[in-house]
Amino acid sequence: MDLSRALRRTAMRRPAVLAVTLPGATELRLEAEAEVRRRGWPVVDTPAAADLLLVCGVPAPGDAQWLDAVGGSMPEPALRVVVGENGRVADALDRARAELVDRAATRRPAAAVADVPVAPGPGPHEGHGDVHGHGHGTHHDSPPPEASAGPGDHTGHDMHGMQGMGGMHNMHAMGEVAGLPMAERGDDRDGLRLDQLHVPLGPALSDWPAGLILRCTLQGDVVQDVEVDHLPAAPGRRLPFWDEPWLRAARGEPVTGDRAARRRCAAHLDSVGRLLAVVGWEDVAARCRRLRDALLSGTSREVIGGDLRRTLRRIRRSRTLRWSITGLGELPAARARAAGVTGPALAADGDAHDRLLVWIGEIERGLDGLDDEGPLTPDDRTGPRGVLGGSRPPSQALLSLLPELLIGAEFAGARIVVASLDPDLEELTSAALSGAAHG
Amino acid sequence: MFDDVVFWALALPAVAAGVMVFRFDSMARATYALLTSLLCVGGEVLLLGLDYLGVVIVLMMTIEMAVMAVFMVMYMMNPAGLMPMTMVHNAKGAVVICAAVLAVLVAGILLAPWPARRGEPSADPTRDLGLSLMGPQMLTMMTLGLALVATIVATVVLATRRGRYDRYGDDVDARCADDPVRGGTGR
Amino acid sequence: MAEAAPLWATLVLPLALAAAAVATAGFDAVLSASAERGPAAGPREAGLRALAPVREALRLLVQQPRRTTADDRLLGRLGVVLVPVAAVLAGAVLPWGFSAVSDPPVGIVWFNAMEVLAWAAVWLTGWGPNSALALIGGHRFLAQGLAYELPHMLAITTAALGAGSLRIGEVVAAQDGLWFVVWMPGAFAVYLSSALAMAFWGPFAHPVARDAAGGAAAELAGVDRLVFLGGRWLLLVVTAGFSVPLFLGGGNGPLLPGWAWTLLKTAAVLALLVAGRRALPVLRMERYMEVAWTVLVPVTLLQALVVAVVVLNG
Repeated sequence: MDLSRALRRTAMRRPAVLAVTLPGATELRLEAEAEVRRRGWPVVDTPAAADLLLVCGVPAPGDAQWLDAVGGSMPEPALRVVVGENGRVADALDRARAELVDRAATRRPAAAVADVPVAPGPGPHEGHGDVHGHGHGTHHDSPPPEASAGPGDHTGHDMHGMQGMGGMHNMHAMGEVAGLPMAERGDDRDGLRLDQLHVPLGPALSDWPAGLILRCTLQGDVVQDVEVDHLPAAPGRRLPFWDEPWLRAARGEPVTGDRAARRRCAAHLDSVGRLLAVVGWEDVAARCRRLRDALLSGTSREVIGGDLRRTLRRIRRSRTLRWSITGLGELPAARARAAGVTGPALAADGDAHDRLLVWIGEIERGLDGLDDEGPLTPDDRTGPRGVLGGSRPPSQALLSLLPELLIGAEFAGARIVVASLDPDLEELTSAALSGAAHG
Repeated sequence: MFDDVVFWALALPAVAAGVMVFRFDSMARATYALLTSLLCVGGEVLLLGLDYLGVVIVLMMTIEMAVMAVFMVMYMMNPAGLMPMTMVHNAKGAVVICAAVLAVLVAGILLAPWPARRGEPSADPTRDLGLSLMGPQMLTMMTLGLALVATIVATVVLATRRGRYDRYGDDVDARCADDPVRGGTGR
Repeated sequence: MAEAAPLWATLVLPLALAAAAVATAGFDAVLSASAERGPAAGPREAGLRALAPVREALRLLVQQPRRTTADDRLLGRLGVVLVPVAAVLAGAVLPWGFSAVSDPPVGIVWFNAMEVLAWAAVWLTGWGPNSALALIGGHRFLAQGLAYELPHMLAITTAALGAGSLRIGEVVAAQDGLWFVVWMPGAFAVYLSSALAMAFWGPFAHPVARDAAGGAAAELAGVDRLVFLGGRWLLLVVTAGFSVPLFLGGGNGPLLPGWAWTLLKTAAVLALLVAGRRALPVLRMERYMEVAWTVLVPVTLLQALVVAVVVLNG
């Protein structure tokens, strides 16, 4: 039995990680991604495949429910780690692995170790690395979270509740099965009367804007209706990570041009990487993530320039990519302007591929601004997603466009459209934004 | 002896799966029970030494049932069996019809003057099948093929709401089709 | 002409396929890791990276399976198990050098029939867990099947036409001099693309794509996940390996024995696919379908016509 024990320990030495980001925790997400990558742990996109749920950010009280649903739909040995503070990710991952290896070796039932605080911290909910165990039982029967991510929403799971209304089954029409409501029907895009399914997308999907929830009405995989929602604001008063240099400059703080250029390039690289991950070009997406982290960590232009330009050229020259995403999420400049969009989505004046090209162009231009030690002028308020300091943050305009762009799209297309706009919900939830902008 | 064992090992599941088609309360299960039954039939055909026909039954039926399951789930009530439902309608009438058909078939088996075997079984039935289809039966097969394609096209044309005027404009001269979902060849 | 393989080959086949699958997955893991973390620092690190699939398999074995609400356990399990079973059954007619576990007179049709079981397998896997994203993944594979299957069938028919036989041993024997790939390049290219599509891997991985949280595999955990995704690698090895007897001359080649040539050629095809995968994003069927039916079907028909004319005049 020692051999099997040793194997079980070995298996958990590199647990599979599902990272979930709360609004306002972009910096933490980047740190976590870099750290997990450095360790070579597998990163997965569904709770079913994960051993470790890594929550980046401090959960608000309302988040407990959907986080529990995500955690509950992980298989044994399921472990949840909450990291709320920068610089604590490595520590939290170390502790999580120790706990997982230990559990795997002893085959301890998880229920017995639930809520053991592994990390010392000020309190359970400001947790820097609280480790919660998650037991079997009813938790494992809860709906899959990527389909039921909204707080208190269980309707995402009724894919099979497509019973018809005809004949003798009418009496069951309003019923529930296994606690899940049944589907109702409606006319679809092609005039067929088919079942409608209400599926909330987010916030636990990977490569998804942190905190965004789209309450979709699907028929098949065609989006018939969508309602944009998001998680509540984080309690912190932090500036949105991607807009920070410009907001600081607007406040009169000294910010170098280098810092702003790096932040803009990294923001776009992050968006490009996520779009490519959603499109399914994992190889280049991984390169984008690596280059993004290198930029943020201050790698000089000489070191990173060649690699970065090569990668960008590869993306721009891919005919298959152009063929694959062209025509998705068509957004003419006039419509974008009317909606109040100011950033790359306005400049692109076109579809998802045009927006991708605008990002790439801005990264290449930004690369020239690297190592510029001159200060950023307080009047320069063009952040990565648009002009800061207007009546509403740039991402608000992007969000307001989502319904018209998504309705009628197929699921895959809808995800690409969202990724090609990549709204940053930190801009919405941060009260500091408007204050700083007007101040 | 071995053949007998294989025959019964395929025949019993084929019948059992056929019965289950009407017992399951989920469209997906009913469809795949039917597929199981048909796969067993394919095995029986293989047992007869008709390799090509047997394997083609497996091939075609798998594709057919996989696609049919989607349509069943799409159009039928209660596809997943989460609610009580039945695959049987008009039970009394069905029993009468089935019993009558069975009686006729059994009578046919017992009463028909089955011919005695003349000549040898073919050394390569696949080749013979091909020669027959593309030889004496060629006209039949070609007509049948065209009729099938025409039926498919006609059905789609009748079923779709959108025609070329919707796609290419009133003068059918638009460069790109106006489709809800864009295709891959840019037309 | 093919010889009958000894009985033990039946037992060795799944193990050999599994070993080939692990090696392919290892190579893929090395390339992925170098995109993710930069090139390996040395052979030791590269070796460790290549072990990732083994580690992953071990990890999934330790992980406990799970269930979802109101699932269809029977069909879901059936779908998961069917993936590797289909791969091994299709592999039974795969010749090693000049002998296969079985070389039936309709070997090519058999291969096609077994690989079509993947249609049922992926859809059932997506249907089983009663989850929206998994079902979307399952449906995507059926759309993919309708797109790739027609050009695929025409491509393998072309190879059979060139040899004048559906028996794989005879297809190999017919390539004693000239490999089919030389005068059937169109069919070969279409076959390779459909091999990827059958294995729902690489550019055709949309049924298990990341945008749908793993698609058909979204709800699989532990052993279920291992069997399904491992079966997918088996399927890739078998479908890629089948291009060797069909188009690349099977065991034919100078100096080396037949089995060595088969091994070398299979490894070369797999390496090409694994490396080439990095150049392409995932192809979505809403776009690919039109290309498959309006470009690839005519291409394979023309190819078959050329081959038929050559055969009739040869």
